[in-house]
Amino acid sequence: MNLPALVLQLLLLLLLAPLVSGVIKNWKAKLQNRRGPRPWQVYFDLAKFLRKDMVISEHASWVFSFAPYVVFLTALLTGLMVPMVHTPAPLSLYGGVLAVVGLLALGRFFLALGGLDPASAFGGMGSSREMTLSAIAEPALMLAIFTVAITAKSTDLSQIALSTQSATGKLLNPAHVLAFAAMFVVLLAETGRIPVDNPATHLELTMIHEAMLLEYSGRHLAFMEWGASIKQLVLMTLFLNVFFPVGLAGPGAGAGALGLSLLAFLAKLLALSAAVVVVETTNAKLRLFRAPDLLSAAFVLATLALLSTFLFH
Amino acid sequence: MNLSHVSTDLRPVVEEITRRFQGRLESCVAPRANEVYFHARMDLVAGFCAHLYRKWNARLVTVFADDARAGDEVFHLYYVLALDAAHGFLSLRVPVSPEAPEFPSLANAFAGINWQEREVQDLFGLKLVGHPNPRRCTLHDDWPEVYPLRKDFDLKTVLPPFQGERHKFRKVEGEGVFQVPVGPVHAGIIEPGHFLFSVAGEPVLYLQLRLFYVHKGTEKRFESLPLPHCVRLAESISGDSSFAHATAFCHAVERAAGVQAPARARVLRSVCLELERLYNHIADIGAICTDVAFVTANMHAMRLKERILRVNEHLTGNRLLRGMACLGGVRFDWDASQLKALAELVTELRPEFDSLVAMIDGSSSTLDRLETTGVLKPEVARDLGVVGIAGRASGFDHDLRRDFPHAAYDQVKVKVPVYQVGDVKHRLQVRVDEVRESLSLIDQFAANLPEGPLRAEVGEVPADRVALGCVEGWRGEIFHWIRTAPGNRLARCKVKDPSLQNWPALSEAILGNIIPDFPVVNKSFNLSYSGTDR
Repeated sequence: MNLPALVLQLLLLLLLAPLVSGVIKNWKAKLQNRRGPRPWQVYFDLAKFLRKDMVISEHASWVFSFAPYVVFLTALLTGLMVPMVHTPAPLSLYGGVLAVVGLLALGRFFLALGGLDPASAFGGMGSSREMTLSAIAEPALMLAIFTVAITAKSTDLSQIALSTQSATGKLLNPAHVLAFAAMFVVLLAETGRIPVDNPATHLELTMIHEAMLLEYSGRHLAFMEWGASIKQLVLMTLFLNVFFPVGLAGPGAGAGALGLSLLAFLAKLLALSAAVVVVETTNAKLRLFRAPDLLSAAFVLATLALLSTFLFH
Repeated sequence: MNLSHVSTDLRPVVEEITRRFQGRLESCVAPRANEVYFHARMDLVAGFCAHLYRKWNARLVTVFADDARAGDEVFHLYYVLALDAAHGFLSLRVPVSPEAPEFPSLANAFAGINWQEREVQDLFGLKLVGHPNPRRCTLHDDWPEVYPLRKDFDLKTVLPPFQGERHKFRKVEGEGVFQVPVGPVHAGIIEPGHFLFSVAGEPVLYLQLRLFYVHKGTEKRFESLPLPHCVRLAESISGDSSFAHATAFCHAVERAAGVQAPARARVLRSVCLELERLYNHIADIGAICTDVAFVTANMHAMRLKERILRVNEHLTGNRLLRGMACLGGVRFDWDASQLKALAELVTELRPEFDSLVAMIDGSSSTLDRLETTGVLKPEVARDLGVVGIAGRASGFDHDLRRDFPHAAYDQVKVKVPVYQVGDVKHRLQVRVDEVRESLSLIDQFAANLPEGPLRAEVGEVPADRVALGCVEGWRGEIFHWIRTAPGNRLARCKVKDPSLQNWPALSEAILGNIIPDFPVVNKSFNLSYSGTDR
């Protein structure tokens, strides 16, 4: 394991994640003809939450206070397995794809428990909706990753990125394109974006992700929010670097190559954020019971992707 | 009985009623051409209302009590029926003796007056007999045994801190049935109201509403103010309908005084009513889109609303048209520059509003959320007496502007949009159609603005006159009924906001829908808490 790389990626995850959320908020406002909050407002919000006192329901158990740290740490740990500016990623291991999906599921499990624990009606609703949707989103995510894993003949995310990078033609492979599309839908769902969830709503009855956070305040809320933005960055990075590893620096790259790779990564990140903003601005939220249809479509796309890896072998 | 000044439309009804209930009607007075009062005994109520409903298609619009113990030694109950086709109001007044303070309920036959009957029970201490659900309504369960609208209850009475439960909700039980309590304090800047959903998973099995958290005693307060001051109080009944409420009140007083506002004032009133409709409808259209997360359309709508509010301020000195209404007319005249601003607003709004509607109609994901959501069936709407926008989206072809022309609406032809579908989409569509109609009405009014004085002298209104004032506000029909007292004051003012009528319909419209769709269904009704609680 390479210590400087680990520190670099850790810092990137911690510091870049809130900015991505802020940029999306700001661009959404711009597209709606509003001025919007400054992109770095999210940092101030996090700093404020960290300073504030916490109000914890007397009905809540240890799970409630434990959940924010699990959510935060699982997101961070997942992030270290995904190559960000260079391959291999700081935590590169065989079976990495399973670990990524498993860690995300662990985070989600505790997030849902945290929503249920204080026994407020909204939290329970949020948890139940989150689990319902993730039951479809998760398999779609796994199938999409498996598609590229099979092509690359490895379950190590860094190996997959390298293999996809080695032949540019692979990007246009039908299996790859289908998996890419499935992954984009999963990305919207997993990051709580319109058309599946609305991160900007004040209507508790319609919330999914936000409903589980309603009882949180102060430091716990900060870790929940920060964790959510890191998870968003991780999923975006996964999408960008494993499925579309253009510009990603390889093993043993020099400082100049790393710099270029970082720039390429940021450019791709901004482009993806812009795509998310456009989707969020031009769509209404789906009816809750239609959201599984959308995710099923992602699942079908991912299944087709997997099938076509064998068909067009 | 002299019926010569009753309007020709209403006269056949009055004659038929007089014949049919001969010997049981004590008297009949017609203070105005379209307002007739019958006096009778309590046992006539059910038969009278049922007959008018069946034979003349009358609607029971409001039921209220009046403490007349000082003069007549009894409480009076009033049943006001609107005859849309005959363009008139028939009221039945019956006495309730203070020794036996009871009255029979009509709620089984006329479900729409359920809450109003209970309000009489709470505020006057007249006990309901035969009501399907005679529990507390306006005053919560923890109120002591006091009856605030009786004359012997002093306005300044300080009650001890309340104890006990505010309200016992009905239990809904079964495997997998959960209760989701929402409120009374909500996210966002709205007033308090408690919604208790009983759900099986996401679908709603039953919705219980608990309102009246901010009962302000407005009707009692009217009785202690000099008449001209009451206009300001009427403005505060429901903030988004300030002008409509104030105008309904002014109508009532003017009718009691036998005065009519001058022609110019009537036109200015109509224009202000349409401006109020415009800004509220456009804001609602945007808010409905927000509730399905199509925020872009809302930002567009908010911009248009702001444009209207600024013109409101230019025209009346207040963004919400407060301070414009007064007894006998309006307070401010508009000069050429103000009329030009109004004309420009209409010209600018037309294409802008069209583009807003096109944006919504072009968003299939938005339409998918709005169509078939929150259906209020026409028969349910009719049973509950649902009025206004919600009524017209569910087949209720009625609009006071057309059926009981007030202000200057007799000079124009008002097109009333009516749909039978009753879903959120059609409540939105009624608003869209009405915005377009309002723009055309403002144009017509501004083109034919008569010259002349702004207000008629109302003077001191003699005591013991009764009068009903009505206005079609943007949300629906608003009634103010008054009885005057000596010294230019009021003995009673009954305020009927359309929200009071429409709230129970929300419980029906949400049945079978899923919880996340409730906010948008609720927004499509957009009822006033303040107008209900008063």
